[in-house]
Order: sequence, then C-alpha cells, then structure tokens
Amino acid sequence: MATPRATTAVPQAFVQPRHGLWWRVRRNGFAYAMIAPAVLAMILVHLIPTAQAIYMSFLDLRVRTLKQFLGAPFIGLNNYTDVFKATSPLSFGLADAARNTFFYAIVVNIGTILVGLGAALLINREFRGRGIIRTLLLMPWILPTYIVGLVWGFMWRQDTGAINNILVALGLTDHQHAPFWLIGPNVFWAITIPTIWRGFPFTMILLLSGLQVIPGDLYEAAKIDGANALQSFRHITAPLLKPVLSIIVLWGVIGSVYAYNIVAVMFGNGAGYPGANGDLMQVLIQRQTFQGYAFGAGSAVSVMLMIAMLIFVAIWYAFFRQSLSTEPKNS
Amino acid sequence: MASTARAVRPAGTTRPINWGRITGKVLAWVALLLLVAITLYPILIMVTTSFKSNSEALSNTTLFPSVWHFDNYPKMWVSINFGNYLKNSLIICGSTMVVATLLATFASYALARFNFPGRDTYGIAILATQLIPGIMFLLPLFNFFKWMRDNLGIPLLNTYLGMIVLYVAFFLPLSLWILRSFFAAIPPDLEEQAMVDGCNRFQAFYKIALPLARPGIAATAIYVFLTAWDELLFAWVMTTTDDVQTVPVGIRLYLGQVAGNKSNYELAMAAAVVVTIPLLILFFFVQKQMISGLTAGAVKS
Repeated sequence: MATPRATTAVPQAFVQPRHGLWWRVRRNGFAYAMIAPAVLAMILVHLIPTAQAIYMSFLDLRVRTLKQFLGAPFIGLNNYTDVFKATSPLSFGLADAARNTFFYAIVVNIGTILVGLGAALLINREFRGRGIIRTLLLMPWILPTYIVGLVWGFMWRQDTGAINNILVALGLTDHQHAPFWLIGPNVFWAITIPTIWRGFPFTMILLLSGLQVIPGDLYEAAKIDGANALQSFRHITAPLLKPVLSIIVLWGVIGSVYAYNIVAVMFGNGAGYPGANGDLMQVLIQRQTFQGYAFGAGSAVSVMLMIAMLIFVAIWYAFFRQSLSTEPKNS
Repeated sequence: MASTARAVRPAGTTRPINWGRITGKVLAWVALLLLVAITLYPILIMVTTSFKSNSEALSNTTLFPSVWHFDNYPKMWVSINFGNYLKNSLIICGSTMVVATLLATFASYALARFNFPGRDTYGIAILATQLIPGIMFLLPLFNFFKWMRDNLGIPLLNTYLGMIVLYVAFFLPLSLWILRSFFAAIPPDLEEQAMVDGCNRFQAFYKIALPLARPGIAATAIYVFLTAWDELLFAWVMTTTDDVQTVPVGIRLYLGQVAGNKSNYELAMAAAVVVTIPLLILFFFVQKQMISGLTAGAVKS
C-alpha cells in the first residue's frame, strides 16, 4: 500500500536518477584525492589522539607505568571516581578551577558581546576617520595572547602598576590601600578584563558585518511608525543580529572554556599557580598532569571537560536552532 | 545625512538647532574616544616601557621614559638567546603556514565543489575537532612522541618536524572552514567552460579557481600564521630544550632568570614590541581580506 502512494506523491520528473553509493564514490575520485592529505592529518592528530585520550582515562598511567603507555593496567572508572574522592593528583584545586572556568566563560562572553556591540553601533555610522578608528580598535585582536598576558600582568601590579596608578590619579584610592590584583579574589578580574580587551574587536567586526546587511529602510519605516532608537534596536537590530550572535556565543564559549595563554603567562608561563581565584581548567590539567606525570587522571579530567562542552553545545543548539534554520542552508 | 537634509530644506531658512541630536553625537564621540583610549593604552605602555631603564620600568611613575633607552633592544637580543627563539618561531610558524594552507586549499575546494558521499560527515567532523580541549590531544601525543623516540628512534619530541606536524594538523580544521567559503563564492561556470575547452579537473582547479581564490588563500595563510605565532600550550609541553622552543616559551626568561633574578620588564616589553609590531604593520595591509574571510567563515557556518 505504501509503495504506490509514494510514487504518486512525487512527480516522475523530480525523481533523480538513482545511483548506488559505490557509483557516486567512484565518480568523486578527484574530490577524495583532494581531501586525502587533510583527512590523513586529522586522523593522525585529532582522531587517534582523542580515542587514545579516552582510553588512557581508564588506565593507571602515571610515572611508574609511563613506559607502558597504552599497555598500562586497566582500572576502569577509578580515575573518574578518584577525582571526586579527592584522592586523584588532579583533585587539588579542581573545584576552584571548575568554578572559575564557569564564571570566566560567562563574564568574558557577556563582557565581550556588550563592548563589541557598543563599539559596532558606534562605528556603524558615517563619520570622518571611521576607517582609522576601526583599525585602531582592531589592534588588540592582532596582539598575541601571550603578549596580552605579559603586558596586563605588568599593568596589574599592586605597588606601581598602571591600573592602580589610574585609580590613584582618579582619587579612588591611594598607593597604600590600592587593591591587589594578582593575589586574592581580584585575580578573577585580572584574567577576565584582558580577555575581554583582547576579544571584543573580533566580536565588533562580526556584529558590524551583521549590522551592515540590515536594510536601512527598516529603520526608516520604524521611525515613521513612531519608534524611538531603543525600540528599533529591540525589534529590528537585536532579532536580525541573532544568527551572528549565535556564532559569537558558540566560538566565544569554546574559546573561554579552553582558555590557557593569558592566565598561564600572567602566572609564571605555565609553571606557576594562579591561585584559587585565577586557575582555569586547561591550566590546571596541564600543570598537575605534567607535575607528577599523572596521565591517566589528567585524561579523565580532560574527558569530563569535553563532556561539559558537549552539553553546552547541545543547550546552545536547542536555544539557537530557530535562528540558525532561518539562514540559507549551504552545508 | 546632513547634506540630504540641507537639500530638502527651502532656500533661505536655517535649520533649527536640535540640541538632543547634538548631545547624542557628542556622547557618541566621547564613548568612542574613550574606547579607543582603553584599546590603545596597554599597547602604548608596552612600547614606552620598552625604552625605560630597569628601575624606571619598575617604578613606573610616568608613561614616557625620562631618558629613552634605545639600547634595551640590543640588550634584549643578547641577555637571553632571543634570536634563537625568534628563528624557531619563524621556522615552525612559517612551515605550518605553507603546509596547512596548501592542504586546506585542496580539501576546501573539494568540499565547496563536489557533493561526494561523506562530505557532510567530514564537514561536521571539522567543526567537531574544535570541541576537543587542546590538552586532551596533548597527553596522548606527548606519550606517543616519547614512545616513537624510545622504541622506533623517530625524533618528534624537541624537533621542528614534530612541532610542524602538530601545528599543521591542529590548525587545519579552521583554515579549511575559512577557505571553503571563499571557494563556494566563486561561480563554477568558469571551470566548467575551461573543462569544455580541454582542461582536466585539476587544471580547471589550478588555472581558474586558484587564481580567483588568491585573496582568500592569503587571508587564510595569515590567519594560520597568527594563530601559530600565538601558540603556547603545545610549545610549552612538547619542547624541553631551547633548540625548538618558540618566543612564547622563551619570553618568560626576562622576568626571572636574566641578570640575577630581576624582573626585566623593559627587556620583555622590547621583545614584545619586536614580535608584535611587524604583525600590526602586516595587518594594516591585509585587514580587508582577512576580515571578509573570517566573517564569511563565521557567519555562514
């Protein structure tokens, strides 16, 4: 019964000639030859190591068994459960790093989007010197992040750093009572603010490209209907920026959850400990894994970090699915 | 906007002063200039500190040095083996740029032009690699490189080859993704015409599509170079001797080991200027292509 219905529903002219999979594979030999080197590189450095890392997370792989590599004793989920029993080499400071990474990702992304959006709206007007100001605002984006960590680490120093000098000059504090930025709870801001400073230009550029495709007559029409600037932003600009914003959020969260350079450089280039308020997950995993060659435990925590990221991507997809599907599909 | 308003106005009348509009404009300019100041101030500090004496860099009472110490630059060059780190960075990042861009050019062309079985899966796999934390590759790769050295005698740890292989593969997915949008924007008609005229598939790619995609390829190459230039995690973990260590790894030495454990911020800043200013100058020339490439890649994904 089902078969005749299907054939009558689709006009014969629209049915594509059906070729087997093998036919299509053979016809695309050129395409496969073109992607082969890239696929090989990705299998070697992405696929195999990822599979090995997942396998390693079930092994008792540490300094004593290091020579055995993948032949180390299989211990099931012990690496995972040890982390929560605080008996793992990765346990020290893990809760701090997880909390910091969570709030770092939130604050960095909200801050980057707000500053980037403000900058994009300010730039998205006709005025003299627009090109040069846009170029100047893009400069932090070109600075390597390890330089950002170095320069801001210099600026955050309590006694003579540029930040406290400005606070003193503004009369907000004096040099005896100026805040410590690189020790204690303020460390969180010492790593967050430079990240926003480095990250807002690219967000600005993406939002600018989103703003420039919004037709100007939409605003004219809203103006005639009596909308003020805030209303036309809320009902025209914001909804039309949503597709770009979804991409910014996705890459922004991945980038900040996996952040390493700024924190590592600011605190001893990977050798130091940023403290309970500045440690991030990748910084912790790198430091504590290599400190005692605790590769099994380190892999287990890396896998958990990746699972957290996959959960985020699922939430992201559910939240932005509609704005993504309104875009022309070009996959 | 002002000129169109003037054109509509009848001759002889003056436009009433709209104070609200002027206030808005002034506020916008104040906000913009404040943003520019915050953006540039740290870069300015980097440059001016690089010309200060050590004590003046540490006391940091004025923005500009009282005496300009141009000799910080030659001093920076010899107090740690900076030339060596710079050479390593240039070799590793330059090779990575060439190889990664080459591989990405081939693969992204295939992704943009052919609907081969597995294409969508491969496209998703490219994006999925970005969800894996870098440290997760690093732990097995470090062991694998060690194992290769101990058991097969193939030197990958502490060699250019190992670092270049890592970087090429690591930066391949994103460069593929950026380049794909460039090839997708080129109409396929020209290549089809060339093939009618007797070119084979590769010649059509090589003679027609490749020259048209040159701006995109250049933008991707620069992007790969900038990203590799900025890489610290892999460089820090995979190298233990300064034979292959790059600038991000070496630059910390100014803050500890030079000249009796003093914090040589002025030398570190001089090194920062040397590795940054060429990038900024380069960026002035290529920003248009780079921005269009990256926004297209991000917006269309």
